[in-house]
Amino acid sequence: MNSARRLITKARRAGSSLWPRASLRDARRTGARLRDSVAPWQRFLAAGFLVLIVSSGYMSAQAEDARQIVEEAQKRSDAKSQRYEGLLQVFDTKGKIADKRWTFERIGSHGQSKSVVRFTAPAEVKGVALLVVNHPDRASDQWMWTPAIERDRRIALQDRSTRFFGTDFSFEDLEERDVSQYDYTLAGDETVDAAVCWRIQSTPKQTRSSQYTRSIVWIRKDNYAFARIENFIRDQVVRRLNYSDIQNVQGIWTARRLEMTDLRRGSRTVLMLEKLQYNVPMKDEDFTLQAIRRP
Amino acid sequence: MILLRLISWPYFRKHVLRTMLTTAGIVLGVAVFVAMRTANQSVLFAFSRTVDRIAGKTELQVTAGETGFDEDILEIVQAASSVRVAVPVIEAVVDTNIKGEGSLLILGVDMTGDRSLREYDLESGEEAVIDDPLVFLAQPDSIILTKEFAEKNRFAVGSRLPLGTVEGEKRFTVRGIMKSSGLTSAFGGNLAIMDIYAAQKTFGRGRKFDRIDLAVKPGHTIAESEQELRTLVGPGFQVDPPSGRGQQFEAMLGAYSMMVSISSLFALFIGMFIIYNSFAIAVTERRSEVGILRALGATRRQIRWLFLGESAVTGLIGSLGGLVFGVLVARAVAASIGGLITDVYGVAQHAGEVTASFALLAGALAIGVATSIVAALIPAQNAARVDPVRALQKGKYQVLSAGESRARMLAAAILAAVSIVCLTVGGSRVVFYAGYLLAVVVSLLLSPLLSLGFARMIRPLLKWARPVEGALAADSLIQAPRRTSASVAALMLSLAMVVAFAGMARASYTSIIDWMNTALNPDLFVLPSQNIVTRSMWFPPAMATELAAIPGVARVQMVRDVRIVFRRTPVMVIAIETSSVQQTTRRTPVEGDADEMYRATAAGQGLMVSDNLAQLQHLRLGEVIEVPAPLGVIRLPIVGIVIDYSDQQGTILMDRSLFERYWHDDSVNVFRLYLKSGAQVPDVKQRVLERYAGQRQVFVLTNGELKGYILRITDQWFSLTSVQIAVAVLVAILGIVNTLTVSITDRRRELGVLRVAGGLHGQIRRTIWLEALSIGAIGLVLGFALGAINLYYILQIVHRDIAGMRLEYEFPVSVVVALVPTILGAAFLAAIWPAESAVHGSLVEALEYE
Amino acid sequence: MIELDHITKRFEGQRQVTALADVSLVIPRGEMVSIIGPSGSGKSTLLNLVGGLDRPTSGQVRIDGATLGGLSDDELTRVRRDKIGFIFQFFNLLPTLSCLENVGLPLHLRGWPRRNVDARARELLTLVQLTDRMEHLPEELSGGERQRVAIARALSVYPPIILADEPTGNLDTQTGSDILALIRDLHARLGSTVVIVTHDMSVSQSCSRTIVLRDGRVVEDVRRSK
Repeated sequence: MNSARRLITKARRAGSSLWPRASLRDARRTGARLRDSVAPWQRFLAAGFLVLIVSSGYMSAQAEDARQIVEEAQKRSDAKSQRYEGLLQVFDTKGKIADKRWTFERIGSHGQSKSVVRFTAPAEVKGVALLVVNHPDRASDQWMWTPAIERDRRIALQDRSTRFFGTDFSFEDLEERDVSQYDYTLAGDETVDAAVCWRIQSTPKQTRSSQYTRSIVWIRKDNYAFARIENFIRDQVVRRLNYSDIQNVQGIWTARRLEMTDLRRGSRTVLMLEKLQYNVPMKDEDFTLQAIRRP
Repeated sequence: MILLRLISWPYFRKHVLRTMLTTAGIVLGVAVFVAMRTANQSVLFAFSRTVDRIAGKTELQVTAGETGFDEDILEIVQAASSVRVAVPVIEAVVDTNIKGEGSLLILGVDMTGDRSLREYDLESGEEAVIDDPLVFLAQPDSIILTKEFAEKNRFAVGSRLPLGTVEGEKRFTVRGIMKSSGLTSAFGGNLAIMDIYAAQKTFGRGRKFDRIDLAVKPGHTIAESEQELRTLVGPGFQVDPPSGRGQQFEAMLGAYSMMVSISSLFALFIGMFIIYNSFAIAVTERRSEVGILRALGATRRQIRWLFLGESAVTGLIGSLGGLVFGVLVARAVAASIGGLITDVYGVAQHAGEVTASFALLAGALAIGVATSIVAALIPAQNAARVDPVRALQKGKYQVLSAGESRARMLAAAILAAVSIVCLTVGGSRVVFYAGYLLAVVVSLLLSPLLSLGFARMIRPLLKWARPVEGALAADSLIQAPRRTSASVAALMLSLAMVVAFAGMARASYTSIIDWMNTALNPDLFVLPSQNIVTRSMWFPPAMATELAAIPGVARVQMVRDVRIVFRRTPVMVIAIETSSVQQTTRRTPVEGDADEMYRATAAGQGLMVSDNLAQLQHLRLGEVIEVPAPLGVIRLPIVGIVIDYSDQQGTILMDRSLFERYWHDDSVNVFRLYLKSGAQVPDVKQRVLERYAGQRQVFVLTNGELKGYILRITDQWFSLTSVQIAVAVLVAILGIVNTLTVSITDRRRELGVLRVAGGLHGQIRRTIWLEALSIGAIGLVLGFALGAINLYYILQIVHRDIAGMRLEYEFPVSVVVALVPTILGAAFLAAIWPAESAVHGSLVEALEYE
Repeated sequence: MIELDHITKRFEGQRQVTALADVSLVIPRGEMVSIIGPSGSGKSTLLNLVGGLDRPTSGQVRIDGATLGGLSDDELTRVRRDKIGFIFQFFNLLPTLSCLENVGLPLHLRGWPRRNVDARARELLTLVQLTDRMEHLPEELSGGERQRVAIARALSVYPPIILADEPTGNLDTQTGSDILALIRDLHARLGSTVVIVTHDMSVSQSCSRTIVLRDGRVVEDVRRSK
């Protein structure tokens, strides 16, 4: 444990920051589209927390196969509502830093969903709730409720390459990718965790600014579930997301364990989905600002 | 150059002491100038730098004076088309309660968006426990410190740090330590970051932000954005680049900076007299030398340049010394100025280091040299006029010629007339200041004649007291008016300044005490922080009911005071419960009808303004003024002009309801408590403290304590000027020493004769002392006379241009009475060394023939 | 009585000058002595030592049996004010004071009551025959008159010793002899010891004793009977 901490410390000194730096240049680059295109939390939560990362779109005849595959994967994961208890663990090269637990609830279909995350552990963050209300035509509204100061706040996120609350996910990683803004190419088959997958390369178009130069996505041929995503900056892999413990829950193939590795920092974050349920009856009034104030 | 080396250098070497004294005059003048300016600049610079460092990449800031504004303004600003990113900020200054650390500037920011503008590089200690951003946001006791502050006070992540909040002292947990960077050097490193919502709660700010920091979208200019935002948020807000805050700070310190300027220039002016004095003496002493040079073929031009060259060299050396000395003392001065500014203006700043700007130093050097040269102009001219034949003859040359006296009289009379005309015509600022300047020039022109006249007048008196020593002391003054008059003039000027400042201080005290006695009559004042001018924390209005319920309390009044920007000047807005205040604290307006004033103000149909605001902004009774507020512009007539010294730049008093409506702010800075008859002040004070013990940070001041506090601040304000006065007097004393050292050289033979004729040491000393005392006495008389005039002008300046205070002219008799022994004592001190050297010189040499 | 006992006076400097070398003299009370010699022979130095204006490098000066060596400045001044009157070549009157005030100066310094000072000053000015010039300033007087004032001042308390340094040096011959006559007259009437430094032979010849100095030594000491 101690050695783990030391290692974490060391890794952090090597260049981590709590509130990731946002260089003006980066921000400027994303500038014009920032307010309406980016609401990472919204995408992240709306998409059922990483269950569906990449949505697809057709681009050309050649890419049709690749795009169809991505679109199919998206279609198969759709549900009226979702609930799970998440365990988030951040590891440094030497060990664990901290656990966080939350319950996650989502209602509504794509683009109009609302979701609520309530942190349950550790004690310092217990009761903190996040509410995301998506709108099909504009950026989502997001609030955070912090019970200790009895106060909700609107969340303004203005840089997508930054880390999500000290995890190895960046806000961009959590966001629903706008299909029309990527080009997809099928790059053959490959086996991931003994499952045969399509290997698909996705490259952001000129109009879509991203911290990544390109990404490679593995989708399992047997059940259209995501198996792995690697994100590149130029020719170097910087973040790798592994999906494992893929189970069929109420007809939806869902990874119960997601592991994001930041290859530059040498740290990784594991998210485990427990007590996962789809299509649970939920009420709209539980997805309001008033509702998240209730414990 | 060769003349300088051949002629001047030996003279300087021969008169080491005098040369040193001359140089000391310039050293002191320049040192005071440099120290005051450097300290002032450092304080301003430290403030600007803190603003700058905190601003980060902020290109514009939206503020509403210091009142803060509703949170929804943020959305308006964020929605502006030219805004790339906009984040809210709260600033609060709290006492660290750590010895030697003073205060801590707490920056409340929204961490979820703020990193776009500011860099927060966190450094995890060895024992990194939690540096989780979620925890930081979730826990209101989270605080991030700078590495500098943490290391100095041995704080690590997880350490607890007690800070005063509205809810009393609370322990905060260090959840992060920032690596050294631009940001961490703001406020001398005494900076802490807190979540903005936690800060709102901690400092009782309700749902308000102090400020919005924003960056402009690419493709838009800052000016465009400024324009857009001004239209969006309305005139109640200021939209300025971060540097604008520095300018506002400077504007607020306007009165103070003016005082500094006046007195530092004054020190130089007096230094100039020392130089003039020395050179005037040198020219007369070296007449024969000049005569020989002229006889040998030196042109008048060469002679003039010789003396100007000497003065330039003296000025240069003196100025360099002054620079060094000034920079050395600037630190101490900066500390005192810093303290003063915190106490008087409630704006904390941290002048960590004193940085003398090159421009200032170069400027001071130039001014020092120029002053020195200017001072030597007239003596150099006189030297150039020396007639070679007459110079080689022996004779009296120190006496003022009848022609010169007449010319002086004439010039003085003309200038005096012009000066009086300036005064009566009045109006324009230039004319007024020209009149002031002329009045001083007249006094300088007349000072040799007057000192001669006075010396003649006191001769019988001195002779009566000491037939020999006294008569000879007076004769020494009469015989050498040139030697004497510059010293007298220097003394006169500094005394005139002392008298004027003392008179102003006295008048201010009188006015402030009057004001306090009428306006500040509650029995108790309940404040959220110890310093009455700090407005970092506010009370909720609900406390009024709680306080009213405390046994012994008869009446509670809520006061909210904030500084806003009115006509580009920071002024104070004070929101009062007019109808209640009217019953307890009825003020007689300077202009306007009291009943109507209170009625209209209470009804929200009018505003009361302070006399100084009316004066400074040229406001008249009945005039409709526009007071910008976050929720619109208040357009109301002035229904009364009252005396109020809450702020140097002026005060606008309005009803609380009006304030609440336009600022959407019901918080309270001060509760004024009136007690029931029979209730004991200490008892009720104790009850109030007990009522809030452990719940709120509450400071209760009794009426006497509050008044004492205000008077202490006033004292502090004037104490700075008294330091300058001391320097002025010191310079004047240098002048006396200078004059006396010359005098004993001139009188060497006479003193020798006295000793031969049976004069004991004591008797010789006495004649020197008497001479010094006479200079002191004449200086006192002339100084008081000029002081009486000066006081008039200073009061006018204060009234017109500095604080708008209407001060009664009252000659500061007590100070004048105290000055008599002080100056005579100082003159006596100045005479000790010359007297000793007069006594101990060789008698044979003294009597040797020239 | 003035006694000089092996007096040596050297002036220290870049060049050491011996002004007086082992001079021993006795001038009895009531004698009128002239000291002559070329410039630099040490005659003024001798006078200064006798008058206590300067201190010898070695040897002792005694006035009426009291040794001057070892006295403080103020004690020397007291000896001087009680026993010695000085007359200078350039008069050394204070230009800002009237004749009466100049004469009264030593008396005031002694702390005499004003009335007495005034009376004595008038008496002295009458003595030097300047009754009509009492309120005049020195610059309004002729050289001879100024020297008379200076003499009156030297006589203030009728001191037993009068030291005169070239009293006629700055005066024309006629005035000089008038002054000399006055000094002789006073010497005769008051019986003071008079020491005159001069290089005027007529002055020295009118004295009962003439001491000749050369290079700091007494080379001749002549007493002549009347």
